[in-house]
Amino acid sequence: MKELLKKLSEAFGPSGYEDGVRTIIKEYIGNDLPQSCELMEDRAGNLYFHCKNEDKPRLMINAHMDEVGFMVTGITDTGYLKFGCVGGMNPIVLGAKRVVSERGIKGVTVAKPIHLLTPEEKEKAPTVDGMCIDIGAASKEDAEKYTDIGDYFVFDSGYVEYGDGFIKCKALDDRHGCAIMCKLIDAIKAGACTDFDLWFAFTCKEEISYSSARCASEFIKPDYALVIESKAVQDTYGVEDERKVAILGDGAIISFMDNSTVYDRGVVDHLISICNENSIPYQLNKYISGGNDSSAIQKSIYGVRVGLISAPSRYIHSQANVVKYSDVEAMYEIAQRLITGPNSIVKE
Amino acid sequence: MTELLKKLMLTSGVSGRENKIREVIRSEAEKYADEVITDPMGNLIAHKRGKGKRVMFAAHMDEIGYFVTFIDEKGLIRVGAVGGINTLAASYCDVISENGVYGIALPTEANELPKVESLYIDIGAKSRKQAEARVKVGDYFVHVPRLKRLSGNKYVGRPFDDRIGCLVLLEALKNVKDTDNDLYFVFTVQEEVGLRGAKPAAYRIEPDIAIAVDVTSVGGKPTSPKSKVKLGDGAAIKIKDSSVICSYELVCRMREIAVDSKIKYQDEILLKGGTDTASMQTSKAGCLAGGISIPTAYIHSVNEMIDMSDVKEAIKLACAVAERI
Repeated sequence: MKELLKKLSEAFGPSGYEDGVRTIIKEYIGNDLPQSCELMEDRAGNLYFHCKNEDKPRLMINAHMDEVGFMVTGITDTGYLKFGCVGGMNPIVLGAKRVVSERGIKGVTVAKPIHLLTPEEKEKAPTVDGMCIDIGAASKEDAEKYTDIGDYFVFDSGYVEYGDGFIKCKALDDRHGCAIMCKLIDAIKAGACTDFDLWFAFTCKEEISYSSARCASEFIKPDYALVIESKAVQDTYGVEDERKVAILGDGAIISFMDNSTVYDRGVVDHLISICNENSIPYQLNKYISGGNDSSAIQKSIYGVRVGLISAPSRYIHSQANVVKYSDVEAMYEIAQRLITGPNSIVKE
Repeated sequence: MTELLKKLMLTSGVSGRENKIREVIRSEAEKYADEVITDPMGNLIAHKRGKGKRVMFAAHMDEIGYFVTFIDEKGLIRVGAVGGINTLAASYCDVISENGVYGIALPTEANELPKVESLYIDIGAKSRKQAEARVKVGDYFVHVPRLKRLSGNKYVGRPFDDRIGCLVLLEALKNVKDTDNDLYFVFTVQEEVGLRGAKPAAYRIEPDIAIAVDVTSVGGKPTSPKSKVKLGDGAAIKIKDSSVICSYELVCRMREIAVDSKIKYQDEILLKGGTDTASMQTSKAGCLAGGISIPTAYIHSVNEMIDMSDVKEAIKLACAVAERI
């Protein structure tokens, strides 16, 4: 899975421009599908893989293809690019970072060196309004040859394995979810049996709203949904124990609640029992924070029973997103056993 | 009615964990409805069939509380808030877990208004190990439910928000006379965390008219917002709150019905806080949406206060609207 994870994470795909990621996934899944399976897209940009099993409970597995990025909003007379953030970012992660545009133009976010900061500036947190992207243009006219207002940029930061099984890359949120789903689809193609009418939804624009996931849910009308995500944790430094959320390497996070969703208790209990029965490492979220596609899915149509598994992720929404590979493997194990297990998830 | 109210008040259920209170309401609703179902999110839908207008009433079953997120080495329980916890009102008050473990909610900063993420619960455990034997991460706590009669018609306790609305719906379901209207009485989930449950319920029912029955804050107290709503002045007909502008033709029709039926009512504009009205109004293709509110003082504290005469007017209004809208 690592090779696929590298390819997906390094692909260009900010919210609303997921085309590169979608193409990689489509090529990976290929055209040689079993008769009961189908690959399709909708107008929202979501990509679906459907494994037909009529009259069975419908299960939707969901991960989002998009990543956080930047959009050019103006070009200064001196040829620097003003930008806005696509998705939520702490401006402090934006100082002097390498970025790359949809046309492959490289740049650096501008931050004043410490030598030039006034004492007042040293005390203040930076703001996006005070920043720009330097693409090395000589003038406004020169910059306009390479870029235009509305162009996307993303972090230019590649895949590295380091330390005790850690992986660093931009956009691991949520390309590891996409990689897990591709591997699950591999298993289905290789003949793994499922007792669900099973859908995989690769969704768009999660970082700016959950509306594409709602489109997916309204299209599929699932009984159950499992969202595969990244969860921001800070298990290293500067945060009290009770606010660390989770620990990298302690297994997949099964969430009971976050800021946007209270997860279905039946689904949560089912996921926990899968872990206990198969000795898969998991942890519950030890702080309530963040939100994701689950909230839109849960409230869509007639209501959907929704669960969440996530990879504990350090430095999320920065150029150096870090996950531990063993946690990603644990998530694959949980999802794989969910889709091949009994279809009565919630016992009434 | 008081026996039923007691049962509704004393059975707990934080947002997303409404299973116990749902069973209490189900056993009551089944006596009077043609059909009672639970939807995937957990909303309880009681249907009284008719061929006329489809009218949906909604009151939420869930209440505010806490989820356990972390147990520290001293055996103190760290929690995340479920819904709008007023930390000033919550501090130094007793709480109880879903499994009956009793404790006290405390602020970490003793001399200033605590932030909600710094609240913790002391269950009297000496160590993490001792605490973990009784409470685990993911369990919920609520402030201890209470119901007490003060002088006259005034009652104090919790959680009137919104078990008093559940009572109004159950009484309306019981007392509604012959009508052509197709009536749905829905006990919703997850209102306190963002009006979440009512949306899929309305998507399923596709009502012509939707009315949320919930509490509203009153003016006139030293700590209360500027509001003309008063305890004892009757059922409140919602015009607006921070989540919704009620459908004006429905507001006017509800006032007419109240006047015709000699029901004591007051107009309500709630400045802060939303209700299921908003979710139902914008679900699927939309519907006419309004609200009947029960004036309540000190909402989201452990001592919410109501006047039972307002509740009686609210029941009459709900019945009259169900029959005549």
